[in-house]
Amino acid sequence: MIKRFIVLLFLLALGLIFTQLLVEYIPDSELNLTAHYYAEHTAQDIGASNIVTAIIVTYRGLDTLGEVTVLFLTAAIVGLLLSKGNYKGKSLQRQLPQSGELLTTGSHLLVPLILLLGAYVFINGHLTPGGGFQGGAIIASAILLILLTDPLRKFSHTLIATIEATSGLLFLFIGVLGMIYAGGFLDNRLLPVGELGTLFSAGAIPFIYSLIGLKVGAEFSSMLVNLSETEGS
Amino acid sequence: MVIIAMVTGFILILMGLYGALTNTNILRMIVSFSVANTGVNIVLVSVGYMHGRTAPILDNAVPLAEASTRIIDPVPQALVLTAIVIGLGITTLMLAYAYKLYETKGTLDISKFSELKW
Amino acid sequence: MVNALFIIIIGLGTAFLLGLLGNTRRNIAYVFMLFALTAMAWIAHSWLWIFTIDAHSRVDMFTAGTAPPFAINLRVGIVETVLVLLVIMSGLLSAVYMKDALLRLGYKSMSVLLVFVMALCGIILTRDVFNLFVFFELAVIATAGLLLLSDDKRALAAGFKYLIISQLVSMFLLLGIIFAYHATGTLNIDGMAEQSPEMLKGIGSLAFFFMFMAILTEAKPFPANGWALDIYESAHPGFSAMFSAGMAGAASVYAVDKLLLIGGQEWLPVVTVIGLLSFVAANLLALVQTNDRRTLGYSSIGQVGLILAVMGQQDILGEHYLFIAGGILLSHAVAKAGLYWISGLIQKRQLTDWSVLRGQPLLIFAFVSFIGMLSGLPPFPSFYAKWDLVMMLASVDRLWILGFILLGSLLEASYLFRWFGYILKRDIIKEDAQHLSLASYKLIVIFIAVVIAWGLAYLWGELSSYNNLLLAIPILFALSFLLLDFLPTWIKNTLAIAGMVAYFFIAYPSYNPLELIYAIIFLLGGAVILLASYYEKGRRVGFYPSAMLMFAGLTLLVMAENSFQFFAAWEFLTIGSYFLILRGKYSEPHALLYLIFSLAGAYLILSGFALAAQGMIPFSLESLSQVAQPIAPWVFLLLAIGFMTKTAVIGLHIWLPGAHAEAETDVSPMVSGILLKAGLFGLMILLMNMGKQQLYGVELTYIMLWLGALSAFLGNLMAVFQEDAKRLLAYSSIGQMGYALFGLALMNQLGWLMALMFVINHYIYKSMLFLSVGGVAKRTGTRQMYQMGGLIAMMPLSFIAVLIGIIAVSGVPPLSGFGGRWIFYNAIMASEYRLPMMLIFISGPIAFLYLFRLIHTIFLGQLKDEHRKIKEAPFWIILPQMIYVTALLAFAVVPGMALHRVDNYLNPFFAGQGLNWDGWTITSNYGYWSPVPIMIVIAVIFATLFMWLLFVNRKAQKVKQFNIVYSAERPYRPETTHFAWNFFAPYRKAMGFLIQPFVTRFWETFADLLHTLADIVRRFYTGNGQTYAVQLLAFIIVIYLFKVGY
Repeated sequence: MIKRFIVLLFLLALGLIFTQLLVEYIPDSELNLTAHYYAEHTAQDIGASNIVTAIIVTYRGLDTLGEVTVLFLTAAIVGLLLSKGNYKGKSLQRQLPQSGELLTTGSHLLVPLILLLGAYVFINGHLTPGGGFQGGAIIASAILLILLTDPLRKFSHTLIATIEATSGLLFLFIGVLGMIYAGGFLDNRLLPVGELGTLFSAGAIPFIYSLIGLKVGAEFSSMLVNLSETEGS
Repeated sequence: MVIIAMVTGFILILMGLYGALTNTNILRMIVSFSVANTGVNIVLVSVGYMHGRTAPILDNAVPLAEASTRIIDPVPQALVLTAIVIGLGITTLMLAYAYKLYETKGTLDISKFSELKW
Repeated sequence: MVNALFIIIIGLGTAFLLGLLGNTRRNIAYVFMLFALTAMAWIAHSWLWIFTIDAHSRVDMFTAGTAPPFAINLRVGIVETVLVLLVIMSGLLSAVYMKDALLRLGYKSMSVLLVFVMALCGIILTRDVFNLFVFFELAVIATAGLLLLSDDKRALAAGFKYLIISQLVSMFLLLGIIFAYHATGTLNIDGMAEQSPEMLKGIGSLAFFFMFMAILTEAKPFPANGWALDIYESAHPGFSAMFSAGMAGAASVYAVDKLLLIGGQEWLPVVTVIGLLSFVAANLLALVQTNDRRTLGYSSIGQVGLILAVMGQQDILGEHYLFIAGGILLSHAVAKAGLYWISGLIQKRQLTDWSVLRGQPLLIFAFVSFIGMLSGLPPFPSFYAKWDLVMMLASVDRLWILGFILLGSLLEASYLFRWFGYILKRDIIKEDAQHLSLASYKLIVIFIAVVIAWGLAYLWGELSSYNNLLLAIPILFALSFLLLDFLPTWIKNTLAIAGMVAYFFIAYPSYNPLELIYAIIFLLGGAVILLASYYEKGRRVGFYPSAMLMFAGLTLLVMAENSFQFFAAWEFLTIGSYFLILRGKYSEPHALLYLIFSLAGAYLILSGFALAAQGMIPFSLESLSQVAQPIAPWVFLLLAIGFMTKTAVIGLHIWLPGAHAEAETDVSPMVSGILLKAGLFGLMILLMNMGKQQLYGVELTYIMLWLGALSAFLGNLMAVFQEDAKRLLAYSSIGQMGYALFGLALMNQLGWLMALMFVINHYIYKSMLFLSVGGVAKRTGTRQMYQMGGLIAMMPLSFIAVLIGIIAVSGVPPLSGFGGRWIFYNAIMASEYRLPMMLIFISGPIAFLYLFRLIHTIFLGQLKDEHRKIKEAPFWIILPQMIYVTALLAFAVVPGMALHRVDNYLNPFFAGQGLNWDGWTITSNYGYWSPVPIMIVIAVIFATLFMWLLFVNRKAQKVKQFNIVYSAERPYRPETTHFAWNFFAPYRKAMGFLIQPFVTRFWETFADLLHTLADIVRRFYTGNGQTYAVQLLAFIIVIYLFKVGY
């Protein structure tokens, strides 16, 4: 009880700090220095319609690399954590209920479509409000669906690891190519910028974003698979 | 509009923190942190919002020349994406940890995991 | 120059690549990882050369082909280079160290390790605040992964606690970043720094506050750091090394430094306060720790706190900032990593379990190097850094900061050296010793750290504005014994003696008469005592490096011209003598007490010098005379107390009896006969340059006079009631030093001559007595006097030495002790301090009481049955005694030889009240002293009495020894029946109340209070991760109330 009270007290203080933030907050009426630059330069420099994508993949590409690495790291650690304990016999200790006919059939129908949607989303990341992370997450949702239908289904860890590693390495490789053939690490202009708004525009962005999509999809899948393998132990 | 979003965000943060700091169950703590993270993300995007402008995608709705007067600030949106992904990573990790912790002690009470102290 | 991005690319790329290799080829993966780390280290290393040539240049590296602030940029300068190199090296070495664990867990753990190192480099290199956040999150997540390398099941809980905290941290960091972006329109740190003045108004200040607190939390400030301690305690030691050196020491600290670019002047005090609090509190709490890794964790937090405090001082440090902060940071990183690596060799986790290292001289050397580095002892970088820091702080009157830093350092040294005592002195459990895992790759890692430690010591010496301590010949000489330690004792002993004598003659022309006396005692005197060391057989590992370090310190002390040299020498002699004293069988607590008192004294001296210098570099010792009012008396006070700690003035004396009595036979005379003089030397330098000082109208020399008198009186009184012969001699030293202090404090020429007379006499007779008593103790196997008796027939030479010695000590004619007394009485006549004088007079006869016991109880009376077949003390112990006997006689006959020149030298300081040295006779205003006739007169009287005694005893009948019976009862304690036990019981009844151990009790209570306080405060770390989070929240809010709220 006392603990709750103390926590409340501190949160009240924090709330007061937040209030101060709110009271003093004045929304911008003009784009600030950085945003203004992006608005003015993205189209001609990067060639991506989606400015957010340009920022994520190019201007702040290093962040994104870190972000992908966060997922990579998390997947690796989840793998380490969950493989660490030797499960007492791989056999199931309780009977899992059958997944219904509806789910099974539905998943057969939906999984390819979901995969397709995922690919669409990350390939068109520079044109539409989508991108590698969103696309990757969609792909992983297909895996989730499969796992829901058949929780005991085994996925090839090697395959996932290979996709994970290869897409990551290629991502880095394109980044390095940027250093050699363009202005710097992860500069997308090693390929022609192209015409604004078309699929093959924005230089290397579609490729990078596709790789990110694959990698994110692989990481999420790896986490899901690892978590699902704890089932029944 | 911005203020409403921000207030919502802050309230979610406070709620999340209250939950995380008072619930002794590890899973509840993780859920509470997710709530708080969502609050942070809402605050993040709301900072970039500008009244009467549109999304920072250059298409027919936003001609190139008018971009700087028509779009909202794209930077917070880029940041929030990163923040979401990182938050997700940490949440996953905490869940995996929670699973492992449960396996070692058979409980999810955070106060039971305090052999390391003083 | 190689682009910094390649560090990130190689780290990440290899991490990804390992996935292709999979766990079936984990050995190859391991090699790949090491290779990648080496390549990363090589890149950082290649920068090092560029930036050593031009330390001020910086190179910005852009990404995305766009200039900042619109894209992320990395920056490399000398600081980044060094820190990145530090991070990668700690990662590489730990990766080697953790080979087993990494191979067991497989390629994923290796990927995680690579990402961890890469992320730390990113934190250091990036100039973008959001990028900083991303790298921090990477580091946090990687930490949670690397904790799995530990065998300790509890590491899991620690990792979860860290994740909870990092949730809070990332929340505050994100909120801070977004509002800072809103306030400045940029995410670039330098861009924000440019707008700092406008930003810190209004909403931007809150934004900064959030960012700052989040980053600061990663530096583990007290009290929001319980999670860090749990990690340190439970993680794999290899990871703890990386975590302490790389994450806490380099990355977090540098991130705070970057943010301070934005925070500016306004936030420096906050960092200072938090840093100091962490430093002192962590070291205080470490006092009551028993777990080794947790202790190191506390120490780590303390060190990072110290670096934070230094960062808070950057406004005054100017160009010295990097030298100071770098010195402390690198010392911390190398030493802490090294200690964690050593901890991995040991199976059990109690500090006392480290005693299994005892059979491993090289590991002990490594341990000593590391704790010396942490405690800021010379010649390590932290010593230079701390010196400069203290000088700067004192020159701008930030005295309270200075005080806290020294307090924290003292606490830290206390528990580190207590630990060292455990290693050398605690019992080894057999089976534990077998479990010491000495895998060669682990040892290599540890010794690379040792080499780096000494390399840095050399480097910092070169960079400092003073002489490189590692190039001082005496120090080199002492250190060379480390390499020669495999030789047998007699060779090393010969080398040592030859070296000391040779050095004396080389340096001879440069000494002034006063220095000459000390140099003779330190170098030649030391050589004479070392003759006794020939007695020791075998290799005597560790003795010579320690002894030579002490003598090197003493030698350098005499030659010191400026305060830095003086202080460095002082520290050297302190450490050397500590190691020597610790060699005694039961000396563990005493040696520690000695070290703590000595270091406390040394810190007072340091503060005194700093206060006096007021920023003047170098500050020559003569400049002490130009210190202006009103600080002069304070300088005097600090220095005087510092020096008096070494002379064991009453009140600060409790370390002496144990330290001197428990030391080895040939060490006791060194630390008593020689080492105590260092304090007197310091006092002489002080008094000669500063003269009389008044504080609030009180004459400080007058207080010293009283202290001297009290020490003489009480020291002697305590000596009277000792049963242990060596303790008796030790207490007697307190009294003798009291005389000398009294003489100096008289502040007239005669007083000084008397003090010098005491310096010489005390060296001779105390060395001699310690050697004789030591020889006797060696033969009889006890130091309790009542268990001896009648040894005159068995050990006649020892008897003669003691006899001559006590005649000299008691100050009766004809020996030089009388000369001392004579000058002394003259000196007193020349001054007007009657009351303390009375005390001094009384002390004389008291001294006689305990001296009498030495002869009476040890050598006269009945021979004990078990001592019937005892032999004379070994030749090599007798030899120096005989030299001393000769010297005493010679000095008694011609004291002028030594003192005449000093008298002349002192003349200018005290307008002409000196003695008149005329041929054999010495004349003062009050009379004359002619040693030779006195000697003859005494000899005649002695011969006559002796003859008469022989004559009257010619018919005496010999009585059988066991011709006595104890009546009826068996005594409860056998020694109570011995007439020599509690010999002076009546005196004890009369005066015992004077020597109640008030002082000991005072210090004991003080230490108890500290420990109790620490024990209460540490309960704050409940171990509950949720509580830690609440504490962090509270910490942030408290800082808000203090800083932003106003």
